[in-house]
Amino acid sequence: MPHFEKIEYKPIPVRELLLEMKNLSELMIDLAYSAALFNDKELAEDVLELESRVDTLAYLLDMEIMIAARDAKDAEALIGVSTVAAATDKISDAAADIAAIVTHNIGVHPIVGEIFEKVEERLMKATVKEDSVIAGKQIGKLDLAARMGVDIIAIRRNKDWIINPEDTEKVFRGDILITRGAPIGIKEFKELAEGRLTKLE
Amino acid sequence: MIEQKRFEEIVARFAELKDNSELMMDLAYSALLLNNRELAEEVQRLEEYVDQLHTEFELLALTSDFKKEEAPGFLGLIRLGVATEKIADAAAEMAEVVLRGIEPHPVLKLTIKEAEETVTQACVTDNSPLVNKTLKEARVHEETGMWVLAIKRGGKCLRPKADSRIQTGDILIASGYAEGVEDLKKLASPEDLCSVE
Repeated sequence: MPHFEKIEYKPIPVRELLLEMKNLSELMIDLAYSAALFNDKELAEDVLELESRVDTLAYLLDMEIMIAARDAKDAEALIGVSTVAAATDKISDAAADIAAIVTHNIGVHPIVGEIFEKVEERLMKATVKEDSVIAGKQIGKLDLAARMGVDIIAIRRNKDWIINPEDTEKVFRGDILITRGAPIGIKEFKELAEGRLTKLE
Repeated sequence: MIEQKRFEEIVARFAELKDNSELMMDLAYSALLLNNRELAEEVQRLEEYVDQLHTEFELLALTSDFKKEEAPGFLGLIRLGVATEKIADAAAEMAEVVLRGIEPHPVLKLTIKEAEETVTQACVTDNSPLVNKTLKEARVHEETGMWVLAIKRGGKCLRPKADSRIQTGDILIASGYAEGVEDLKKLASPEDLCSVE
């Protein structure tokens, strides 16, 4: 049984809540497919965790909308917002369903991943270790796209997610980086992040 | 063991399902941002197409001559298809807001504009290097990072193909990371002669 907490109202602008729901739901789709196609349990668990975050956001957004609607006209103007928010919630549910294929040990036939890898880039997680050459550096300075065809699509820092980080964002020890790229490139990047490869060429 | 060829066929069908569901999401957000019925209708048409693809994909997977020990792997594949179809459904629900004639609330437009992955439109002026090029030749994605989702021409909304030729006056509807928006606008209208909002 998952643990459900009471969700208390917090005054957060609708725009912020919806923006986070949209961004997270899209990140979750990418993570989930990658987890299922390449049987990556850790990624799958991240998706499930994000899914509960989106659920909380959905509650908060609904409450915000209820408070905002004072009459029929408001309700008509806001119904579109709640419909779109519900759709992003549904998308994140779908991503969680995909992740559950992995966490429930069903798995997708391994040949599917093999064939997919030829056409699709994949995602990989890498934790930045203390002695890594990339620790403390700005993402833009690493020039990953040109060097190894790798893109950092998200950073997990403590409990927070930074989606599509800016070039000026620095990576720190302990950051978990979600990267996208061709298999060779992301493997090389993982070795750099984890300090097994010490030269940034 | 099932032959490799059969698998490739199943995976190809799945990839098409996945691509279409993601295209539907992009188009649905575009439809909301621009309050555009044609884009929303396109999402609904794609939804029917995705349903059909999904059925074909499931039949193909189920009629594969798999062994007992391969059953979980096939179950996983089937569930992957179901979830992908659910994403397409969600996109169709978003587009429905536009088709019901509800003017999208300003907060929706703001959110879509501010999101990491956004949609935009850019009009093509006659001094643009894109004029008279096919989409394949124009290399819009390589230049700007944006994908062209649709071309608005004379009140009609066309779905882009590799050999679609770009004309002066076209409005390109594209999605991608926010950084690409300005690049696309510059490419389509180098002297900033026209802007569409």
